Amino acid sequence: MKTIYVCEDSVTGIYSGIYDAWKSGKEEGECGIALKGLVEQELFCDYAEVEESWKKAAAVDRMIRKNLGERTHRDLYYALLSNDREKGNVVLGTMMAARRLPDSRRIMEHLSHPMVEKVFELSRSVGGEAHNLKGFLRFRELENGVLYAPITPKAQVLTCLAPHFADRLPLENWMIHDKNHQMFAVHEAGKQWVLAEETEEMRKKQKEKFDRVSVEEGQYVRLWKGFCRAISIEERKNPGCQLSHLPLRYRPNMTEFTEGNIR
Amino acid sequence: MRIQETMDLYDKLQILTDAAKYDVACTSSGADRKGDGTGMGSCERAGICHSFSADGRCISLLKILFTNECIYDCKYCINRRTNDVPRASFTPDEVCTLTMEFYRRNYIEGLFLSSGVLVSPDYTMELLYATLYKLRRECNFQGYIHVKAIPGASRDLVERLGFLADRMSINLELPTADGLKALAPHKTRKKILEPMRLVQTRTAQNKQEIQVYRGAPRFVPAGQSTQMIIGATPETDYQIIQVAQSLYQKFDLKRVFYSAFVHVNEDSALPARTGEGPPLLREHRLYQADWLLRYYHFQAEELLSEEDPNFNVLFDPKCNWALKHLNYFPVEINRAEYRMLLRVPGIGYKSASRIVKARRLGVLKFEDLKKMGVVLKRALYFITCSGKMMYPTRMEEDYIARNLLETKEKLPVEVRNMGYRQMSLFDDVRFRENVML
Repeated sequence: MKTIYVCEDSVTGIYSGIYDAWKSGKEEGECGIALKGLVEQELFCDYAEVEESWKKAAAVDRMIRKNLGERTHRDLYYALLSNDREKGNVVLGTMMAARRLPDSRRIMEHLSHPMVEKVFELSRSVGGEAHNLKGFLRFRELENGVLYAPITPKAQVLTCLAPHFADRLPLENWMIHDKNHQMFAVHEAGKQWVLAEETEEMRKKQKEKFDRVSVEEGQYVRLWKGFCRAISIEERKNPGCQLSHLPLRYRPNMTEFTEGNIR
Repeated sequence: MRIQETMDLYDKLQILTDAAKYDVACTSSGADRKGDGTGMGSCERAGICHSFSADGRCISLLKILFTNECIYDCKYCINRRTNDVPRASFTPDEVCTLTMEFYRRNYIEGLFLSSGVLVSPDYTMELLYATLYKLRRECNFQGYIHVKAIPGASRDLVERLGFLADRMSINLELPTADGLKALAPHKTRKKILEPMRLVQTRTAQNKQEIQVYRGAPRFVPAGQSTQMIIGATPETDYQIIQVAQSLYQKFDLKRVFYSAFVHVNEDSALPARTGEGPPLLREHRLYQADWLLRYYHFQAEELLSEEDPNFNVLFDPKCNWALKHLNYFPVEINRAEYRMLLRVPGIGYKSASRIVKARRLGVLKFEDLKKMGVVLKRALYFITCSGKMMYPTRMEEDYIARNLLETKEKLPVEVRNMGYRQMSLFDDVRFRENVML
């Protein structure tokens, strides 16, 4: 009988689920993964609760890197960051399918396989969003000199963004706030970045803090807005083209598209 | 003479951005560099767009002129000597502050610094050099820098500047020497091509230096580019892409940019104002053709010819080529060579390489193609999967053309709304009307 492993919606959770499924020795089609709270009940299935653990997750992560290669690892990992309810299942399916290839590292080339294709699609969309945010994210300087950037992404892209900004702004104190998933990536000057979860208490306390910007901030916001206006050529005006490159959902967090100056 | 009061940074930025906006290149691609942990900045090979302006163009660099004062009198240029426009100049410090502060807020990917010619080409280049030096060495900025070389500046300056910048460009301005003579009397073709050649040879030399000593300083790691104005002089599209092709082949350019001519000055040497706005569709077709030259192994001579020197208004160059060469089609997705796949309308170079890899592991069907990024509504007339076409279609130029037109690529409103009858009236000199209905 098919067993469905039910796990938490996090990379660690799903990796733990994959660990359990892999350990059970079941074949492709005999096991699946569902996310807690998003289970669609199927007939003739066993449901097994997965115990989340760092150890299991690390083992799966190692196994993927070793047997499927870094590039596939990236694709699988990105797929797990998406907000698709099937993500765990398709990643497991892809890993199972890889076993049957003579060279497992080529699994992501096997696009006629439905599971692989779905992973490809998810990874592409998450990668695309992360890449967009590398450009569209905006820091503002708070009173205490910390750079703060709020984002509202569909996928949990913080772990894709943080290394990029840590490399780029090594001597700055900055944090990126994923408001949709209540997470922070925090970087202290000269140190490694860390991921932190936002608690209810924090949310209440810090809400105002993020609006209090430094004295100079207003000046640069004004300069930047002026620049964006001046760089556009009136004779070539093309809002449709602008919209297709820069979807509306990014704009509320972007300095040049928000009304008025922040305090 | 009007004495300029002191201007604040905001006004300067407005003036010098406004003056720089006609420069096309805003790409931040080509350089790949991690930060060294002691300053600020890094570069990604693919480039990063940070915003899009109201005209739909990407904003990735802080694109400014150092000064809009100019001793030259190029007829198409807003900053020509004889124009009465507000003039301003930055100081190296101001440029550095703006760049650093914008960069740390992630507004920009780097700096694009061009300039009008102040006093003399060498004098101007010295100023650009001083700015970049300060930015790189004192502010420790490791982000992207694109700098314009001023035609006529000394070799030594071009070389020194190249070691501070990621990309250098020298504007070709106009596609032919005659055009240049007519519209930019102070510039000569020779003065433009000379530094271009210098950058090319220096880059080649630098490649060897790096092989010998890995820590050797990099000379314009993201290569050089150029741009030319389209529609100010009477060249045909064929001439233009031939020029582009030879620039790619003989000067190893990374990019050639095309800039639709925008009427900013009144001058008898310029084409008459038509009220139609800049030739954007023509510019678009040139970019499409440019891509075909760089990534799709097309030759300029395959796309256009002496007898047929301009692009089709209705079809992109690749579609147009395919319609004229139906004898090569349909191609079998599961067997065709990579280069042939590249020639199918609706298949890009990425999807082509995905197809080549995926078909080793399984037979591909039309549904699979869609997921790989193939635009089936265009490709379906030109391909088969396992010997079958997606729908029964006829291999006739007229039939395919008519059907492709119905899917409507994004054409400008005027072209889209044109009925069959009006079409023959459409008389943009640059476009051959080639209606296949």
